[in-house]
Amino acid sequence: MRRRLALAFLFAAALLAQSPAELKFPPLAPLRIPHVEEYTLANGMRVYLLENHELPLVNGLALVRTGNLFDPADKVGLATLTGLVMRTGGTTARSGDQLDEDLENIAASVESSIEETSGEVSFSALSENAEKVLSVFHDVLTEPAFRQERFDLAKSQLRDEIARRNDDPEAVAGREFNNIVYGKDTPYGCQVEYATLARIQREDLVAFHRRYFFPANILLAVYGDFSTPAMKRKLEALFGGWTGSQAAVPPFPAVRDVPRPGVYLAVKEDVNQTVFSLGQLGGVLRDKNDPALEIMADILGGGFSSRLFKRVRTQLGYAYGIAAGWAAAYDHPGLFEIEGSTKSGTTTEAIDVARQEVDRIRASEVGDQELETAKQTSLNGFVFHFDTPGKTLSRVLRYRYYGYPDDFIFGYQKALGAVTKADVLRVAKEYLHPEAFTVVAVGNPKDFGKPLSALGLPVHPLDLTIPPPVP
Amino acid sequence: MHTTRNRAVLFLCLSFLLAGRLRAQNLAEFQKRVTEFTLPNGLDFILLEHHEAPVVSFHTYVNAGSVDDPCDKTGLAHMFEHMAFKGTETIGSKNYIEEEKALEAVERAYNQLDAERAKGAAADAERLRTLEGQLQAAMEKAASHVDVNAYPRAIEENGGNGLNAETSEDTTNFFYSLPSNRIELWFLLESQRFFNPVFREFYKERDVVREERRMRVESNPEGKLSEILLATAFVAHPYRQPTAGWASDLDHLRVADARAFFDRYYAPANIVIAIAGDVDPAAARRLAEKYFGRLPARPLPAPLPTLEPKQEGEKRVAVETASQPFLAIAWKRPDQHDNDDPVFDVLSEILSSGRTGLLYQQLVRDRNIALSATSISTFPGGRYPNLFLVWVAPSSGHTNSENEKAVYGILDGLKEKEVDAQTLKRVKTKLRAALLRQLDNNTGMADQLTFYRVNYGDWRKMFTALDDIDKVTAADVQRVARQYFVESGRTVAFTVAPKGGAQ
Repeated sequence: MRRRLALAFLFAAALLAQSPAELKFPPLAPLRIPHVEEYTLANGMRVYLLENHELPLVNGLALVRTGNLFDPADKVGLATLTGLVMRTGGTTARSGDQLDEDLENIAASVESSIEETSGEVSFSALSENAEKVLSVFHDVLTEPAFRQERFDLAKSQLRDEIARRNDDPEAVAGREFNNIVYGKDTPYGCQVEYATLARIQREDLVAFHRRYFFPANILLAVYGDFSTPAMKRKLEALFGGWTGSQAAVPPFPAVRDVPRPGVYLAVKEDVNQTVFSLGQLGGVLRDKNDPALEIMADILGGGFSSRLFKRVRTQLGYAYGIAAGWAAAYDHPGLFEIEGSTKSGTTTEAIDVARQEVDRIRASEVGDQELETAKQTSLNGFVFHFDTPGKTLSRVLRYRYYGYPDDFIFGYQKALGAVTKADVLRVAKEYLHPEAFTVVAVGNPKDFGKPLSALGLPVHPLDLTIPPPVP
Repeated sequence: MHTTRNRAVLFLCLSFLLAGRLRAQNLAEFQKRVTEFTLPNGLDFILLEHHEAPVVSFHTYVNAGSVDDPCDKTGLAHMFEHMAFKGTETIGSKNYIEEEKALEAVERAYNQLDAERAKGAAADAERLRTLEGQLQAAMEKAASHVDVNAYPRAIEENGGNGLNAETSEDTTNFFYSLPSNRIELWFLLESQRFFNPVFREFYKERDVVREERRMRVESNPEGKLSEILLATAFVAHPYRQPTAGWASDLDHLRVADARAFFDRYYAPANIVIAIAGDVDPAAARRLAEKYFGRLPARPLPAPLPTLEPKQEGEKRVAVETASQPFLAIAWKRPDQHDNDDPVFDVLSEILSSGRTGLLYQQLVRDRNIALSATSISTFPGGRYPNLFLVWVAPSSGHTNSENEKAVYGILDGLKEKEVDAQTLKRVKTKLRAALLRQLDNNTGMADQLTFYRVNYGDWRKMFTALDDIDKVTAADVQRVARQYFVESGRTVAFTVAPKGGAQ
């Protein structure tokens, strides 16, 4: 008996797959893509509803066509402040502090912010409180009071952030790379300073809000546990009477493509590791070459399987973090960026290896397995764009906001599947210009082994000194 | 699924109804979707069915962390976490027979080098150089047999999502999600890495881990402050050891150390696995038996004997940094099994939840002496007596000491006067809603199920912990504040400008 048992075990072990290649998978269940109900209120506000009763929650988001790209050059920080104080400064009916209490008492939230190319006001509520919270959401969106004391507080907090902006080397490298590549004198590359903050007054926030927050400039999405007809009635009652109107919002400023080649070195004496970023202006998502560019960047530095990760991290042990991304934006060129960090002593070597990998991907076709891995990673992971109904709603909203077709993601998936090795080489040659790369290094050059000048590029000092507050 | 019928009576008693509905609807409903079983070797599985989309999340929770690092080998738990991505005999090698020989040669070369180094001042410089060269050559030879990163590549190219791992003082966690038709891939990969892990590329990965330490601690002012806070607050208990490891310990970690750690702590009965999403429990159970059944049962590691002695007096420690100031104040508190555990959670919410938290209201909003101020009820872990932590970033022109006094003022208030009913109710409502908000999130649920199973013996504690929270009274809050927020149990860590002036 014992012996037969042992044999049975051996047999079982022999059946057990030992490597992934031995496994066969059944087909994936078809995607269920929920229907998003779309309509427009008489005042021009567009509404997107997605009913889902899995949890007793209702969440919503108003996407507003604005952004800090519209900050006047002498008042950089205006959009950010407006986004902050819309919520903290309260509404005509209730102070910000009252809102804090009222909302948190029922475990709800209403939040607002203005980022680079959009403004957002969001809410989250248990469905039994949805009506109450929607009404607060409405007030924050349409009649924020911008109370002076909360405006002063927000301004003071932005000043504190300026004071702290050079403390984290990763943040410094990312920011400087962004600002240099886009240009520090452009809306994409400028930053908040004490002087620009000092010029901003409460009235500016009121005017900024009035200019951009009007019904025809807003997409409103509501998701969760409600009945669609009842929610429509509720939204009509809340927003139907909001008639404010302004001239159409102009397009965002264009990005100027002015290469700024060279090495930019920011000295931080309190670190023993250099954080670096290198790259150039990237692309726009709707570019027909974008799928090939994404594959190219993925093979170069996308994940554990990428060339940079294998070489710089696994084989050389130079870095914990090392990655490259094409990172196309919806409406303007994004940044192609390789970022990493390495001990001071291997700074120049690590940057040099990253450049060699860029040269290599421009010099010859990638391997069959590399291409296959990159494609399969994306195609097999496609389902994660659809794993929650909320993602579908959010995607529809972004597509409408930036003017993309509904089926964009499916066309993109198809194009991605069709990318060839020749495509990858072609776009790498056509789009990447390593001779014009901007290289930013934040570290302690005293301890660099080889100097950065060994890279054969001009080295420019980057002055991180914060211009002092205006008295 | 819940119905809309309840809405008609909502106005009657909102908060009662809220608590009632969440409890009745969710624990009862939730339980129907959970299957739990334990393999004969002791490995425990919790399956949560959630068929909204064809995806599935996996979470492996190992009840071992840096608290289990030997004191001269700190960083070892974290080092093993990295090694768990290196593959096995059948995944990651071009020729394992040759690779195994080459890996043994690396260890022999390293042993020789170590033996020469151990001579200290008497070591022969020339011989050291030769041995270092031999070690390098042996490592290169072993590397030539490696199919680099084949293990994570198998996950990535099958659409793996959120692939990562984390080590903390108490635990090591491995997690990712897959399209649900590829569930067998996870069984194969996860069982293999805990069945026959190969410690390839060990010394290069040690360099990577060293870089991680530079990033998280040595070049990061908050990381530095946190490390020195723990090393000061604890004198005996290994919570004093940094998860990232001390730099000199890292430089001496060897393959044998990682192997010993694995053998001791990765016993099947010391691991709990949760699978949440589009999973068929019967099929998953068959796969679990097939793939994980072969892991031999091993004894559980002995409990840590070291107890932190009672702290008898305040401790203060300064860290010089060129950055803007940070302040950390921590008080000794009992472990997560203490009856007062939920009271600490309530206290932390009262202090720092949202914009109604007292730290925000008083330090940030009203006095504007801090840019941010927050608290953590259990730091750095809950398995052993630990710390209640307050963390402050002062605003420009305001000091750590000014904020420190203000924090004590707030705590004195909690000691002098019972917290009002409205605040207590708000805190309880928010904690309940926080659980509700993550119920549809496979990744988060897999994480939570394993956490409660390992730490409290039953995943249901995720729900019943809320009942414990509900029982906390204003008198409890006052009593615990008085008992634990005392000077003699306090450690204060703060940054100061380097001598020679601020930058």
